[in-house]
Amino acid sequence: MNRALLAGLVRLAITLAVIAAVILAVLIPFALPHDQPGAVVAAFLLGPLSSVRHLGNVAEYATPIAFTGLAATVVFRSGLFNLGIESGVFLGGLAATAAALLLPSFGPFTPLVAIIVGAVVGSISCVIPGELRLRWDAPEMVTSLVLNFAILYAGVFFLNYYLRDPAAGSLMSYRIPADARLDRLLSGTRLNSGAIVALAACLTVGIWLYFTRSGLNLRIVGQGPAFAAHLGLPSRRIIMQAQLVGGLIAGMAGAIQVLGLYPRFSWTQLPGLGWTGIIIAILARENPFYVVPAALFLGYLQVGGDFLARDIGIPSEVVGLVTAAIMLAVTASAIFQHPAVLRLIRRIRRVEAAQ
Amino acid sequence: MTDGRDDGERAAGPAPAVAFDRISKTYANGTVALRDVSFSVPARTIHAICGENGAGKSTLMKILFGLEEPTGGRIWLDGRPVSTATRDFAGRHGIGMVHQHFSLIPTLSVTENIILGHEPGKGGLIDRAAARARVEMLSRRYGLAVDPDAVTGRLPVAAQQKVEILKALSRDTRILILDEPTAVLSPPEINELFSRLRDLSQHGITILFISHKLNEVRSLAETVTVLRAGQLAGAARLADVPDNMIMQMVMGRPVEITRRQPRQVTGEPLLAMSDASLASRDPADRLQSIDLVIHPGEIVGVAGVDGSGQRGLVSLVTGTARPVSGSIRFDGEDMAGASTARWRARGMAHLPSDRFTQGGVPALTLTDNAIAGTDGDKRFQRGPFLRRGAISRAVAAMVEDYSVRALSIGERLDSLSGGNVQKLIAARELATEPRFLIADQPTRGIDVAAAAFIHKRIVDAAERGAAVLLVTADLDELLRLSDRVVVMFAGRITAVLANEAQLTPERLGPFMLGLEGMP
Repeated sequence: MNRALLAGLVRLAITLAVIAAVILAVLIPFALPHDQPGAVVAAFLLGPLSSVRHLGNVAEYATPIAFTGLAATVVFRSGLFNLGIESGVFLGGLAATAAALLLPSFGPFTPLVAIIVGAVVGSISCVIPGELRLRWDAPEMVTSLVLNFAILYAGVFFLNYYLRDPAAGSLMSYRIPADARLDRLLSGTRLNSGAIVALAACLTVGIWLYFTRSGLNLRIVGQGPAFAAHLGLPSRRIIMQAQLVGGLIAGMAGAIQVLGLYPRFSWTQLPGLGWTGIIIAILARENPFYVVPAALFLGYLQVGGDFLARDIGIPSEVVGLVTAAIMLAVTASAIFQHPAVLRLIRRIRRVEAAQ
Repeated sequence: MTDGRDDGERAAGPAPAVAFDRISKTYANGTVALRDVSFSVPARTIHAICGENGAGKSTLMKILFGLEEPTGGRIWLDGRPVSTATRDFAGRHGIGMVHQHFSLIPTLSVTENIILGHEPGKGGLIDRAAARARVEMLSRRYGLAVDPDAVTGRLPVAAQQKVEILKALSRDTRILILDEPTAVLSPPEINELFSRLRDLSQHGITILFISHKLNEVRSLAETVTVLRAGQLAGAARLADVPDNMIMQMVMGRPVEITRRQPRQVTGEPLLAMSDASLASRDPADRLQSIDLVIHPGEIVGVAGVDGSGQRGLVSLVTGTARPVSGSIRFDGEDMAGASTARWRARGMAHLPSDRFTQGGVPALTLTDNAIAGTDGDKRFQRGPFLRRGAISRAVAAMVEDYSVRALSIGERLDSLSGGNVQKLIAARELATEPRFLIADQPTRGIDVAAAAFIHKRIVDAAERGAAVLLVTADLDELLRLSDRVVVMFAGRITAVLANEAQLTPERLGPFMLGLEGMP
């Protein structure tokens, strides 16, 4: 029996137990006044699993937040709390739309070109706060937060004057040409080929972080800046590299979201996917391999919430409540660093050491 | 000086203001900071507590102030046993402490800082007039003139210290602890501080004064207690004992030191630092006109009380600081202001004093910590990818070779004890076969066996031809390993001595304390 594995499972089991307890605690007050409280809980928990189509919906929700969760993971791993990923998504979507509308068609490569343009332009949103931090020691949290809105309004201006379809009722772009749209994977859902890209991206970044020299150096710089200095690592370059990669992924998220889901670009507010990405990164403990399950889990909650709204008439905002409560509980070190838990884990490990 | 253990004697005279009764402190990681320390401090006296760094002075004061809990023994105040582990212990018993590093909030006014935590209130609001009046009253009563409305962070350091003292006195204080208060002050400011402290003692306040500067202790205190390695090394009335006796208490009895056979070095030095000066915001890091040479195969030991400029010296040769003047040559090449990467490329390796922030990343595995910095090493890398199999074998061999005790190489670094962390760091740094090794407090806080092991590896490196700079507060270690000893005080080199049999800690003492060798 591998007890190190067992010790690891203790934490997982506690995490799952905490999540289950939180879901029930939030849901029960909504379910109790209902005729059949059991049905409410069942709809929320089992609805998303009830058919292939609903599972497809889960994956559809999970796709963009897996990207942004990944982007947040990379950026946070560098030790910077750069929130530029939020506007990176917006900018990526806008730039991809612009590329699809303004550039000539590249045949089957049209989506690829648009996504690359979106990613590159989107990366600006993370690179600028990173550069400000390294060059002038300006707190990246503040600059990125402010920059998010600057980028939003600059983007809306661009949309209004260069991409706006005057025939459309409200502020939105011209129709995105069909050859720039992403392929749908499952009928009845909006699940598209972006989901595969998201999965591949998470695996690639995971391999980068844990199996390459450059990934090791990034983890060292982020978690031990003094150690990085001691080793003589080029910390500034490594940090900027992470901002760039995080920004590229955020931009890609926006591009894929727009090209995969919408007929036109119509964001006039920040889409909020970057914020969700931060939740994913925290939930996944900043590990790219865990980003996929974390994103699927939030997608699952979202679809469950849709069930409540559609079938039972409970507002789907409950999902936000559940997510918030889970975040509070899962990040509570009071639970995971509790002496009893640590003792338990230590005891399991020590038995192994003695063997 | 009475012995705190003797209850009968204590009952006879007036009760001492403070009595430490067999105080012990063992930290969770096994470090023993204090062992059975007993002594008492008569009321209304100025009492000095001396000892080297790590002797346990600060820990003992933190225990008295209620910041740390003793693992054994108890404290008596005015003849009554008290439990320090209670809320607001220090405040309720009138104990004030001036910390070595100020605990003031720079953006608040002097008044706000002083009343912080016990603000005079009026209906839920702070009574600013009363607060200001109280600060003025304190300031007048103790002769410590400060502007109550000044923004604390903009005041000069000496004035900030007055604020810190007033803060410590602000709650009917009877016992005032000062932890190395002179470290940040200039000589005239020190004199000023001392006359204020004498006034305070006249006002009936018992003062505990921590210092490792003997001349200051002598000019201020009446009695002294010396701690060494967490134990009571002696106690005396200062009038009764000469300097060298106190020094002997501080340094310890001359134990049999088995020195290395000093090596005869010839030829060009590998490192040559000449007239190098370093400016820094922190006075403890400043350097003035440092001349230092190290030959290949030579171990040069740097002695000095903590904060005498050792950190600045190390920063110059590890690429984290640039000298304002002077030259640093390594193997003939100008290396003043060279980056860490460049120093490492020339064969520098460094055992840092701060093992868990500079020496490694606690949250990463032993493996990741062990191969960190080996960028481009073909044994560990194929293209950008790490060769995990080859790495595991190499790290397992390192762990074996340096007898690092760990469950597995996949464990996090912080699962190891301090000694094992240091062995792993040594394994990593020495794996590069360095030409120049900097060992900064290489065995501080680690067990004897691990220390002996590290010593052997440092000597091995020198015997393979490395130039070694050994910075240590442990004089035994210094004399054991060094070929030559350099003593620092206040950012200068006060002595360069060959490590011969007649060189003893007693001989080093006056240079370390700035009594000799200063211009």
